[in-house]
Amino acid sequence: MKPDPVARLLAALPRAESAASPVKDYPTLRLAAPADILAAARILKDELGFAYLEMVTAVDWLGPVSLAGFVSSANPSPFTKKAPPPPVAPAAGAGIAYRPVLDMLWSFGNLQTGQKVFLRLEVPRDNAEVPSLTSLFAAADWQEREAFDLLGVRFSGHPNLTKILTPDFLKGHPLRKDYAHEKDAYDED
Amino acid sequence: MKTEEPLVSGPGLEMDTMFVNLGPQHPSTHGVLRLGLTLAGEVITKAFPDIGYLHRGTEKLMETRSYHQCVVLTDRWDYCSAMPNNLAFCLAAEKLMAVQAPPRAQALRVITCELNRIASHLIFLGTYGIDIGAFTPFLYAFREREMILDLYEALCGARLTYNYIRLGGVASDVDADWTAKCREFLEFFKPRLDEYDTLLSFNPIFLARTKGIGVIPKETAAAWGLSGPNLRGSGAAYDVRKSEPYCGYETYDFDVPLGETGSCWDRYFCRVQEMRQSVRIVEAALAALPGGDLMAKGIAKLPKPPAGEAYAHVEASRGDLGIFLVSDGGTAPYRLHVRAPCFINLAILQDILVGKKVADVIAVLGSFDIVLGEVDR
Amino acid sequence: MSAAEKPAYPQPVLNRKAGGRLLTDTRYWPTELWKSPWSLPRYRAGALWLAGIIIGLLAIGAGVGELARWGEKLLALLNRSGLPPAAVAWAWVLIKLGCVIGVIVANGLWAVWWERKISAHIQSRVGPMYAGGFHGWAQTLLDTVKLLLKEDVTPAAADQVMHTLAPVVAIAPCVMAFAPVLFGTELAAAKLDVGVLYIFAFAGISVIGVVMAGWASGNKYSLLGGLRAAAQIVSYELPRGFSVVPVLMFAGSLDLAVIDAAQAGYWFGFLPRWFVFYPVVGQLAFLFFLIASVAETNRTPFDIPEAESELVAGFHTEFSGMKWSLFFLMEYGYVLLSSFLLAVFFLGGGAAPLPWLVGIPSWIWMTGKAMLMMFVFLWFRWTFPRLRVDQLMDFNWKFLLPWSFANIAFAGILLFLMQRGWGLR
Repeated sequence: MKPDPVARLLAALPRAESAASPVKDYPTLRLAAPADILAAARILKDELGFAYLEMVTAVDWLGPVSLAGFVSSANPSPFTKKAPPPPVAPAAGAGIAYRPVLDMLWSFGNLQTGQKVFLRLEVPRDNAEVPSLTSLFAAADWQEREAFDLLGVRFSGHPNLTKILTPDFLKGHPLRKDYAHEKDAYDED
Repeated sequence: MKTEEPLVSGPGLEMDTMFVNLGPQHPSTHGVLRLGLTLAGEVITKAFPDIGYLHRGTEKLMETRSYHQCVVLTDRWDYCSAMPNNLAFCLAAEKLMAVQAPPRAQALRVITCELNRIASHLIFLGTYGIDIGAFTPFLYAFREREMILDLYEALCGARLTYNYIRLGGVASDVDADWTAKCREFLEFFKPRLDEYDTLLSFNPIFLARTKGIGVIPKETAAAWGLSGPNLRGSGAAYDVRKSEPYCGYETYDFDVPLGETGSCWDRYFCRVQEMRQSVRIVEAALAALPGGDLMAKGIAKLPKPPAGEAYAHVEASRGDLGIFLVSDGGTAPYRLHVRAPCFINLAILQDILVGKKVADVIAVLGSFDIVLGEVDR
Repeated sequence: MSAAEKPAYPQPVLNRKAGGRLLTDTRYWPTELWKSPWSLPRYRAGALWLAGIIIGLLAIGAGVGELARWGEKLLALLNRSGLPPAAVAWAWVLIKLGCVIGVIVANGLWAVWWERKISAHIQSRVGPMYAGGFHGWAQTLLDTVKLLLKEDVTPAAADQVMHTLAPVVAIAPCVMAFAPVLFGTELAAAKLDVGVLYIFAFAGISVIGVVMAGWASGNKYSLLGGLRAAAQIVSYELPRGFSVVPVLMFAGSLDLAVIDAAQAGYWFGFLPRWFVFYPVVGQLAFLFFLIASVAETNRTPFDIPEAESELVAGFHTEFSGMKWSLFFLMEYGYVLLSSFLLAVFFLGGGAAPLPWLVGIPSWIWMTGKAMLMMFVFLWFRWTFPRLRVDQLMDFNWKFLLPWSFANIAFAGILLFLMQRGWGLR
């Protein structure tokens, strides 16, 4: 008998709702407040057997990617003229409401039944802060560090929230849409 | 295992720890992994893996490239088995575009991915032998891998980064020569697996070095998010090919080998047995190779998938490789996140290395079969 | 496809645009090669060559070995030359030293090439094939030239004096330990009553050089390697020494020449009276000595001090050029020493394996047996994984040492029976 995670979570968290635009083919739940994620994760893990934290990440909905600081040519060649800058970022499709939020995404798996459930939560881009799941899932450790490093989400309660992928001297969070790369000693030309 | 207490103590006789920096240039870190170890004698009291030396920011790069160009970038994650990377990205993008690859392309995807699993596990087998000090199996494994790479070269012209699986299908077709050669390889390969067992798997010294070392119980493995053979070595029967079949995996008959205790040897032997299953799958797929198109209709040169979010994951050689893809209707992915199995498998290292001997570090690290290209992306 | 039809260069089958070495040319696929290797002319020719080389080597060896007889004539010539006796003695020692160093250096060249070839064939490769033209015979020669020309780097963190001294301290005892080694019946640089003790004593000194190298490099990996080497070599000295005690009991002497002579003759007219054929005791002692020797020479499965997957290169991580090659010369020197000792202690030394082969000179047998044992060393190296450091110590203290003690008791019983005439005489 497969548990129904969405129904159980909706019952436990009255402010949560089924996401209007779900991750295709998967049950997706939108939480209302950062505090809910811990409660939801606890229910998923202890009651429903979703003991497998698959993914922690976020989407920056600020708008199309900024090209500031991009290397002008991906393959610089001394024999060709300086290449033109890359094309302007792709135009937005219809119906996309760009807004200054980070759309958090957690994905939990149930190893017995093979089910998956996605939890979403919008937090403001500035001072984005959500509770850490490290107390429940050891797997959250590095994935939250990655989200912190690349997207600048702070996870309160994380024991070691430090940079993990980018070098220590890199300023900013590269996967934010307004990230502009500053030239450093390791850049060519 | 606990650190030995000094028998004599007094001023000037305090036990001191030593900090050893394993990597990023070291023969056994399988790339540019740095492992900071604090040792008391030969016993580890603290370990921290330091990654990011190979971080190329492919997720960011993809935000400025068209979907077809992104497939090329996926090759660079797990360069030892690039086909599943292609596949995962294409499945996610196809979900967004609501197209499906034709049956022949799906069968070819299965064949190439399983061959790649064999090639990737062969690398693991060889390098793990070297980690434990047995040099010879490495060259045996590479001899067989070379044949797979020849097959790939004939198929798509590349030996490592294939860009073979494309949006909506595959790039090129196989002919009777190729399938004959592939069968010849499989026939050649099956007895070689028994050879590896006599060479390495059941060698008493190898067993002494790996059995009962680095044991990860099932619950711990799940809590740390391990996937692939690392999870199955602990006894958890989780395989994306079974739980959420893609590309018609539900039609193939194969077993999911499981380990018993979750030790290094279980993870190792899980992979060896997976190679057998992959051979079975490829044989079945070759026998029932459907005809027809290679490409789905209606894949634009500059695809603009409708706005939406999709998640697709495949059982890559090293675990559960997931792609979370967001489109805003533009020509490039708005956001792409990779659930990189190696990255997540590596995190447990800081936990299980404590209390081990220095020589066990290599045995444990090697048993996770990491590729730094995927850890750092 | 006949030869005429086969294209001269590989033809693409699929994806012609992509190019590359493709499947019509499967000369490199083992499936094609392994069907019937003997049908290939190259394979047959190779086998013929191999047989020829072995016979040729033996023939050349027979010629060179006979030169040793001229040693006495040379000494007589020196005595008649009118030099003072002390000068003659020194000159004679220097000549013999030159011979021994020559053996060690030549052994280094030969053993490295041989190891490369053996490892290659164990690993389904071919090994060096180009340098020198014939099966890469000049490979190690040219490598030596390269090593001599290489920059000698001493790390800034290293203790300069100790770093330079370490290889010397390591190799010198190796040369000295060769003094009483028998290269054939009665063929040794020095005749010593306590030859066995002398060899073990000097072979034990090299570890100081290894520890010095580990300490002086100023590198943690080197330090760990040096410490491991010290622990391992000192531990394995014990079973190595004790496993020889039965041999000494049977021969009744520490003199290698006496041990060699004690194994002459045959039981039932065909079974050589080598110590390895003494029931149970001989085989156990042989096995223990072999294992302990492999450990003493730091070779797989006991190559913990230089375990490249853990300690990069152990105690010689920070050495380069000729200093580094001195360590390798030492390693191969000790392998050769152990091989000769195995041949003398257990395999009858210069005695022929069968009565009708007595005519062949003793040192051919000796060298042949030593080379056989050396092959065993190389064979071990390329087939076994490596033990862990604590497993290594466990194996030594909990298995090898007690059993080598027990073996001494067994030897006593066997000796008692033999003296009573109950056993084979």
